[in-house]
Amino acid sequence: MTATTGSKGTAADAWKRRGDMTLRIVAAVPLGYAVASLWAMALARLLPGDRAEATVAATLVAFALCAGAAMWAFAARSGWRAFWTLVVAGAIAGGLTWLSIMGSGRL
Amino acid sequence: MSKSFRQSQSFLHTWSGLLLGWVLFVIFMAGTIAFWREGLNRWMRPELDRIEQPYTVLGGAQRFLQGKAADAKSWYIAMPSDKSAGAQVYWQPQPEPGKERGGRRGGRRSRENQALIGADGLPAVARETRGGDFFYRFHFDLHYMPVIWARWLVGVAAMAMLVAILSGIVTHKKIFKDFFTLRRGKGQRSWLDGHNATAVLALPFHLMITYTGLVTLMAMLMPWAVVANYADTEKLYDRLFPHVEEQARSGTRAPLIDLGRVVRNAEQRLGGPAGSINVSEPGDAAATITVTGAPSAMLSSRAPSLTYRGTDGAFVWETPAPGGASVTAGAMIGLHAGRFADYGMRWLYFLCGIGGTLMVASGLVLWIVKRREKLPDPARPHFGFRLVEWLNIAVIGGFPLGVAAMLWANRLLPMAMKDRAEWEIHALFIAWGVALGIASVLRSGRAWTVLLGATGALLATIPVYNVLAAPRGLPATLLQGDYLLAGIDLALMTFGASLLATARRVATYRPAAKRPRKRVPGGGAQAPVSSSGLHAMEPAE
Repeated sequence: MTATTGSKGTAADAWKRRGDMTLRIVAAVPLGYAVASLWAMALARLLPGDRAEATVAATLVAFALCAGAAMWAFAARSGWRAFWTLVVAGAIAGGLTWLSIMGSGRL
Repeated sequence: MSKSFRQSQSFLHTWSGLLLGWVLFVIFMAGTIAFWREGLNRWMRPELDRIEQPYTVLGGAQRFLQGKAADAKSWYIAMPSDKSAGAQVYWQPQPEPGKERGGRRGGRRSRENQALIGADGLPAVARETRGGDFFYRFHFDLHYMPVIWARWLVGVAAMAMLVAILSGIVTHKKIFKDFFTLRRGKGQRSWLDGHNATAVLALPFHLMITYTGLVTLMAMLMPWAVVANYADTEKLYDRLFPHVEEQARSGTRAPLIDLGRVVRNAEQRLGGPAGSINVSEPGDAAATITVTGAPSAMLSSRAPSLTYRGTDGAFVWETPAPGGASVTAGAMIGLHAGRFADYGMRWLYFLCGIGGTLMVASGLVLWIVKRREKLPDPARPHFGFRLVEWLNIAVIGGFPLGVAAMLWANRLLPMAMKDRAEWEIHALFIAWGVALGIASVLRSGRAWTVLLGATGALLATIPVYNVLAAPRGLPATLLQGDYLLAGIDLALMTFGASLLATARRVATYRPAAKRPRKRVPGGGAQAPVSSSGLHAMEPAE
């Protein structure tokens, strides 16, 4: 990861590193929580069986997703990559949830 | 695993662990103490006799409530056991006509509407204290701040902890080899070994307790699955937490059946002890009695309930069997609280909790130790370094001092003092404030010595005071076979002695002679009086 390499570059490099780190932190914390929440919603809609049970199961899983998203935000090759992959992952879940609610409504 | 992946996770581990590390230390320590919640509830009320006959106490509770609140809206009795400090009872008076009734929790439990029934079945006279319940609440509600903020802070800290644990596993190259490695007296290496040992030894516990901790707060932290499925959340809660339909008051007076008979029947049906009894409309012909199983009898925190008619004790309703995901959630919360655990298991929980507390503490200290050796000028560290070091001393050294002060306040504050229970808690924070001051004015090595030494001395001497001046000292509890109270005194002595020994090692520590090879212009890579001195903490506990 760029931020931990010891080499001192130019001022432009330093700003680049700061920008990269900011993107990763944004991807890890607010975005990570949003993606986990959207997938909790999608799973709650899509898991088979009783609605109440599916809701609980989706909530239980969401914390693991949240931690996984934070880890990915720092493991990805660049901050941008972390950012857009998480946006795409969230958008898929959001889309599925929206379609499902449009289709069959809420209780 | 690729090297860059491990490096990225190492960075994440360091910073997710550091940022909320001090909050985590306090939460972890309070939670660890709270595993002895019932024991401390008794220990902090030494006037009370141990309960030998729970049904005698229950009968006394019913007589008391009948005399005091015969026409109440509802009664609540916490079923006494040999672990509890009497039977706590609450009652909710009838709502005044014309006044609007609140929701399900309409009548708040005010201080006037509660009592403690002692082992002889009579209202007990004991010092006013929050007892071990304080540590339980503080563990997730903190103190002096709105509960909702506290829980979000605790929830965020728990998530940071989960990320720190998972990234810590990735970072760890040789998890099993290091597991058996503890190099003593080697500065940074020793701290790393200590951090690894406390982390890896109880790794399943740390993962379990952190994840299940998040689950206990899930309705607040992660409400989105509910939002996706329910426009009306009451529908979900009625499904997940079913309860018997409330009977309207009939207006016809009728005496209530003996609660002992109903509870005996319920215990037979539950196949285990009862935990609490709710009576709705006790003086009325429509009265109902709901008995809920004790959390000690099952893994899941969601114990089933049985409802009986109040006039003749006929069985009317029981909680339906929950679904798979609900059982999982209940079991996770049950695992977290450990109420199901008997004494042996409870000790295991407690020791793992100590391991976790030391893991957090050693991680925070490691941050300092690692960076001290790289400081350009150790005499003038940069602001971030000084801040972390100060917080380490103020929190890791200060909070335990506060706990010790609180236990002493429990013994020494006048019995009739106004707001006595609240002042016990103030004592904790006042002592913590003093520790903050000590951390600010003394050099780090001295500050550690003073704080660890003072905490050790305070803890080690309480059991002595108990023998001399309190009703239930160590010889008496041992002779009576009251191992819960004896265990607390013995544990306090052990902690006190280890902290004193640690303080002594910090005080007498002299850094090893400088190795010429590592000499750095300007005095040195080897200044860490406090850091290496601190390392003495780790073998001692």
